[in-house]
Amino acid sequence: MNLTGTDLLLPARTTPADAVVALGNRLSLQEGDGAQRELRFYDTFDGLLHEAGLAFVHESGRSALRSLETGDEQAGTAAPDPPERLFAGELEPGPLRDALAAIIEVRALQPLVRVEIAERAFGVLDGAEKTVVRLALVEAAVFASPTRRLALAPRLRIAAVRGYEKAFARVCRTLVDDLGLTAAAGSTLDEAVLATGATPGGVSSKVDVALVRDQRSDSAAASILERLAQVMDSNLPGLIADVDAEFLHDYRVAVRRSRAVMKELKGVFPAEQLARFRAELRRLQQVTGPSRDLDVYVLDFDQLRAGLPAASRSDLEPLLRVLRARRVIARREMVRAMRSDRAEELRAEWPAFLSELVTLPTDGRPDAARPIGELAGERITKIYKRMVKMGRAIEDSSPPEALHELRKQGKELRYLLELFGLPLHPGDVVKPLVRALKSLQDTLGRHQDREVQIATLRSFRDQVSTLRGGAAALMAMGVLIEHLGEDERAARAEFAERFASFASKAQRALVMETFSS
Amino acid sequence: MSRVLATYNIKGGVGKTSAAVNLAYLAARGGATTLLWDLDPQGASTYLFRVRPKVRGGVRKLVRRKSDVEDLIKGTDHERLDLLPADFSYRHMDLALDAAKHSTDRLARVLEPLRGQYEYIFLDCPPSISLVSENVFEAADALLVPIIPATLSSRTFEQLEELVHGGPQVLAFFSMVEVRKSLHREVMAKLRATHVTMLGAAIPSADEVERMGVERTVVAEIAPAGRAAIAYEALWWDVRRRLTARG
Repeated sequence: MNLTGTDLLLPARTTPADAVVALGNRLSLQEGDGAQRELRFYDTFDGLLHEAGLAFVHESGRSALRSLETGDEQAGTAAPDPPERLFAGELEPGPLRDALAAIIEVRALQPLVRVEIAERAFGVLDGAEKTVVRLALVEAAVFASPTRRLALAPRLRIAAVRGYEKAFARVCRTLVDDLGLTAAAGSTLDEAVLATGATPGGVSSKVDVALVRDQRSDSAAASILERLAQVMDSNLPGLIADVDAEFLHDYRVAVRRSRAVMKELKGVFPAEQLARFRAELRRLQQVTGPSRDLDVYVLDFDQLRAGLPAASRSDLEPLLRVLRARRVIARREMVRAMRSDRAEELRAEWPAFLSELVTLPTDGRPDAARPIGELAGERITKIYKRMVKMGRAIEDSSPPEALHELRKQGKELRYLLELFGLPLHPGDVVKPLVRALKSLQDTLGRHQDREVQIATLRSFRDQVSTLRGGAAALMAMGVLIEHLGEDERAARAEFAERFASFASKAQRALVMETFSS
Repeated sequence: MSRVLATYNIKGGVGKTSAAVNLAYLAARGGATTLLWDLDPQGASTYLFRVRPKVRGGVRKLVRRKSDVEDLIKGTDHERLDLLPADFSYRHMDLALDAAKHSTDRLARVLEPLRGQYEYIFLDCPPSISLVSENVFEAADALLVPIIPATLSSRTFEQLEELVHGGPQVLAFFSMVEVRKSLHREVMAKLRATHVTMLGAAIPSADEVERMGVERTVVAEIAPAGRAAIAYEALWWDVRRRLTARG
């Protein structure tokens, strides 16, 4: 099915039957085989397939990835009706699974819309009775609920036959100029999604807020924080329903970014509210932490296991059981906290506070009316300088905490650069800095993660040892801990080089020039 | 990458065009993007698809790749099935090939830019042993060889196997079969016993095959439930199975 292509809408108050008569008067038509079809569309919450120009479609016992533009199948397989939540790994091994996994990775597919289509196909014939253009009259309906069927505007789809481009142009002119058809704005899929009240292309967790340099800092901070609050809200249902791990991850990133904004731009908020909301957001971060850690463990388990000799890989099964059991408990606590009255109140009061921030008196908010370009630049320069100083002080003998502290500063800097640096400064300056920072943070993060993983594995030892197969599992875990330790040391060894490029003379000069003017 | 399948026989009038047209139609109907190149200057398959037998620049420019082959392709009445039409200048294809460098792989080179676009490319070849057929052997992954089960057919088969030795896979099938003739039955039994590459499906001599020229379409549209339509479906299934078996 051509999902966008060249779709035309019939003129107002023209029924499909009228349209066929009008077409027949102008063109030599031959009706071909019509079709009744039912299509179910799926995508991730954030529309990863839509973004890649694809749709996951299930039709008459076949699941396939199809191009949104041409309708061509990229990969497909016979499959039962997909469930309400489908991971790429749950499909049969094959090209469809591979193609899907490459795009959606750890995200789950969820039902998007169910569309019924009645199609009448026509060939436009030339003097030799050869088909030179193909037309299809498409009447589609979408199910807004299992019982509520909404008809979409009928469309006439026009497709060229290769080698007959002149005939195609002629028929297009007839349809548009003489018969009054107009080009459809979006695809049938997008129209169907809109009809159900959802957003074509899914719900993004990107921040993308436009700022100007001389905007008041409190207004800039509020608009970023409002967007982050939206991201938290939109990810909450999927987080609670445990659709996939990205809901929790995106939620936590939004919380962390919000905290960084409050911490770095303290002077735009009234002290009392600042203290309260910082504490509340810190709590959100804390109650979601254990679940996220265990998510990462379960997601990375295969990779972790792959680090073991083939013969002892199955020995780790008891560990996976412990991880899953702990994850269930952690999630239960997290969901309870997210549903609590306290969390509910925060969800109402936080956006309300943000929306009135600019109207509050500026006493006690020394930075409120300062231009955001100046304030953010000041903070970016300050943290960058601090990181350079901290990093230089790190030696081979420094304790792991020194790297950990540096990483925390790095996170603040990264959020400032992404939230304020990119919208206010040229990308060719900010992006290389973000890249150098990311590369440093990856190394620091790996160092920290390994340390935490080793400690966590050690903490599981008692529980694992009581399970059947526990002794073998403990030995396998010992090997893992050894590998993790090696990787931690490797990350530590990488640090000097990564830091040098982040703190190079040229980079320092560029930061000063860009952000402290 | 596409599979290139050529319907070929040294002899004429054995059902090559009919096989090329009907198999290409079935390939496209099954969801595969398919191209049929009508190499025969008589242009029978071009006529069946109601396309004008005209190739801008003629055969000389085409084999020297001076014309863009993509611009010469015409869509047919059937979705996913395109045609590279015949042209009267194809009667001099041998001369054009002979005059060009690399004279035995010119056709393969012409097809090169199309190999990513089509899952199947069918070549409907003129009957002969010539530079054209050498080019076809070079370009094709498999030869689909229609054989009329009459006296000399066994000899034809052996000649052909010798001719393409080491080249494309040879998949022969019986064509224009009249099961009431005992000679046909005897020859079929004998060849099937001695030649493992002989396909199981056999195309009957049927009214609807002859009517293709009048109605200018494929047998599946003339008599969808007829013997010939069913035989072509069986043949296509068999061909695909053999191709897959070979990897």
